[in-house]
Amino acid sequence: MSKYHNFMQRPLSRREMLGICKGGFGALAFTSLFGAMPIGCDRPKNLAEGTDLYLGPHYLPKAKNVIFLYMDGGVSQVDSFDPKPRLAKENGEDPRKKFKVDATQFDNVGKILKSPWDFKQYGECGMPVSELFPHIATCVDDIALIRSMTSKFPEHTNANYFLHTGSGIQGRPSMGSWMTYGLGSDNKNIPGYVVLDGGLIPPGGLDNFKNGFLPASYQASILKAGAEPVANIMPQEGITNLQEEKLQFIKQMDNSLMGKMGEVDAVSSAISNYELAYKMQSSIPELTEFSDESKATKKLYGFDSDDVHTRGYAAQCLLARRLVERGVRFVELTCPKVEADRWDQHNNLKDGHERNAHAVDQPIAGLLKDLKSRGMLEETLVVWTGEFGRTPFAQGTNGRDHNPSACSMWLAGAGIKGGTIFGRTDDYGYRVIENEVSVHDLHATIMHLLGINHELLTFRFGGRDIRLTDVHGHIIKDILA
Amino acid sequence: MELALLVNTNLLENPSDFIRFVGRFHHLLVHLPIGFLFLAAITQFAVRWPKFHPIKPFLVYLWGLGALSAVLAVLFGYLLSLSGDYDEDTLFWHKWSGVAVLVFSLGCYYISKKQGENLNIPKRVLVVLAFGTMVYTGHLGGNLTHGSTYLLEYAPNTVRNIAGLPPKTEPRPKVTVLDSADVYLDLISPMMSSKCISCHNTGKKKGNLLLTSYNNMMKGGENGEVVIPGDIEASELFRRITLPENHDDFMPSEGKRPLTDTEVEIIEWWITSGAPQHGFVTKLDADNKIVETVSKYLGLDKYTILSKEVTPADKSIVDSLRNQGFIINRLMKDNYFIEANFSLSERAITNVDLDLLQNLKEQLIWLDLSNSGLKDEQLEKIGQLENLIKLNLKGTPISDNGVQYLKKLNHLESLNLYKTDVSEGLLEVLPNLTKLQKIYLWKTKVNDSLIRILKSENKSLEVIYKREEDFK
Repeated sequence: MSKYHNFMQRPLSRREMLGICKGGFGALAFTSLFGAMPIGCDRPKNLAEGTDLYLGPHYLPKAKNVIFLYMDGGVSQVDSFDPKPRLAKENGEDPRKKFKVDATQFDNVGKILKSPWDFKQYGECGMPVSELFPHIATCVDDIALIRSMTSKFPEHTNANYFLHTGSGIQGRPSMGSWMTYGLGSDNKNIPGYVVLDGGLIPPGGLDNFKNGFLPASYQASILKAGAEPVANIMPQEGITNLQEEKLQFIKQMDNSLMGKMGEVDAVSSAISNYELAYKMQSSIPELTEFSDESKATKKLYGFDSDDVHTRGYAAQCLLARRLVERGVRFVELTCPKVEADRWDQHNNLKDGHERNAHAVDQPIAGLLKDLKSRGMLEETLVVWTGEFGRTPFAQGTNGRDHNPSACSMWLAGAGIKGGTIFGRTDDYGYRVIENEVSVHDLHATIMHLLGINHELLTFRFGGRDIRLTDVHGHIIKDILA
Repeated sequence: MELALLVNTNLLENPSDFIRFVGRFHHLLVHLPIGFLFLAAITQFAVRWPKFHPIKPFLVYLWGLGALSAVLAVLFGYLLSLSGDYDEDTLFWHKWSGVAVLVFSLGCYYISKKQGENLNIPKRVLVVLAFGTMVYTGHLGGNLTHGSTYLLEYAPNTVRNIAGLPPKTEPRPKVTVLDSADVYLDLISPMMSSKCISCHNTGKKKGNLLLTSYNNMMKGGENGEVVIPGDIEASELFRRITLPENHDDFMPSEGKRPLTDTEVEIIEWWITSGAPQHGFVTKLDADNKIVETVSKYLGLDKYTILSKEVTPADKSIVDSLRNQGFIINRLMKDNYFIEANFSLSERAITNVDLDLLQNLKEQLIWLDLSNSGLKDEQLEKIGQLENLIKLNLKGTPISDNGVQYLKKLNHLESLNLYKTDVSEGLLEVLPNLTKLQKIYLWKTKVNDSLIRILKSENKSLEVIYKREEDFK
């Protein structure tokens, strides 16, 4: 179908021909038959009984929204949530004499490197957390920690695509697109899938957040930090109804184009995007205006921190809560641009990880506590993860290289059994030895909590009914409440 | 034969035990002649086609194996029959048709050996006879072991009619409310069916005791009555099921799955209360403990409103509510439960809205009216939405007077009253909300002592009444 081409083809296809002949009425039936969503982020109004056009949760959801806290660059598991005393004992020894060392990205394998941070146990569950995250440590009883996450790719770009789209190759729909496609969005004035750009767009770029072959309405809308979160959000026309008339005219033109071409996603999505953009002129300034938040709330998130990056990420976290309050389905936060690169400490582990951790720790803890007290954590799933872990041995003398064989991540909130630890790595934290979790398993679990059966939410593309989890994915039952 | 065995095993203290031990291998061995003779019979007919000629030379060995294994099966079967655990009549026919199988298969073997593999008339008759008697014997054997009703228990009623059996008894509808649970039909009878009647049925009737119906149970067995209503000490049935498992008299015997502690507890209560044939559990003299045990046994503690099938919501109502600013979503594919969310609407809720919601009463399980300006008196209408599981009223000007209307929402699991004016009035409401798991009370008028009372009254209720501050 022509809708899958990035650029519009001009030669008239057989289907387009049919579409024109059938006229408007037929074209409408045509889109429904092929399971495409009606225009716009709104979910179909007629979930008629007895039809197979059902979209929406397959079973009663636990979560209504997801906040995905993306730790870009790969947090070191042995320095954050997976303490390994053996590293301290064997600090400075040659790792190759202890275990088989895989090829690393920079092939600069140093000695075994102990964690520069101490671990302490927290909460009723006694989960050990390192000094990097003193604030998140106070929330461990709401957190389910997975120490056995793995990736298939040892390199950022592919690993990012893999984590976001379930495929290491560019071009597949992002998980946020899948979930808004499956469930729709409750708010007509704000997009259903929002990425809050904290300063760093992950390697791989915006394709991490794209709709792929899903209709274009399901791609992420990116809100930047600062005074103007969306470019040109204030209308430029001086006369009030001039803008409305302009938009009306564009819509008329687009509709007549569609009359000629039949249903084309590029055009129909453009129409709905114009409409949404118009509505966002009022909804976005209200959203990013924090004057109705109390001083105590701002303090909790870290608005009064000395660290400009903590303040910035605090604003993003608070914004995430406000988005979820307004019915936005999927919110992803990218990392702030601290003075030491993303969480990708190939050298100066101590300095870089400390800066990154300091920026996100308090805002995340504030977010969890704020959500909980308002009754929102019950229906919001919070996911914290990087794209892979880091090596337990040094790269050079004081860094750590990429390690896709083990990574720690956590989930909190809706349907999650707080205070659980799932999976185990070997004595060095290098490889998973128990309950390995794949990215597909994570996706399946997130979808499960949203009430979606990951095996049933499909979209026909290239002759195949494609899923976010492809042919993989098992729900991680042990972390569910 | 038996004598020879006894002589040979004179070292054993209890020869009859040894015979039983050996006899039970009948169950294993009996499958060999079935397989061999079946194979021999189809081979015998198959070799008429040229394609199968190559297997002709093996025919005689197949009949030989069949006959030899039939000898063993008959021998062990005879030993097993000495135990006397089986229905005499069926046993008689099983025994002699088994002997017939042996004779016919020997005949087949003999003729095959003498006349080669060709199929003449007498041989054909013999093969058919051997096969037929084998099927018949096997069927009787199955009846002896599993009971004569076993085979057609789940057969379609047409098949059962042909066999002269009454139509299948409709299974009792699954109990969904404890008040409708019948003490014998829903509790005792299913226990007997699953744990006892494999031996105490009309076919096997061990100890001459039948547990297939209430009357038979009351009649008792060869040692007299087994259930003495009201007298737990004198009831042999209860004594047998509560003995140590390795005791000779323990029931169910022969390592079959014993009754669970819960089942024993329920039987004990039933006999103590006079072992009535009918009666609803809650009408009988049932204390809280047994009510709890019974509802657990019937899986009623897991029953929620979601197990109910509801009809689709009226589309015109849904549409008009959507036009009023409600977000209405269906919550599952296999049923028509819905959520309604008014929190994104920018106007205050009106009585008209609430009246419309009443029409979705059956389907509505999640309702979000946060910041909707809902008033105390309007809660009366909310209180009628009986199927609600989640109710979010945060940021509304409601107080103790209003929440009283929520008493009837006994399916409610989560109640959000953040930023409302509620306080001590909750003490009257919460005891009615038995399923409530979470209540949000931050920024309300509750005080610490009230929180303590709420928590002590319902230990499993999670009360969230403040926001944890940052530790610094």
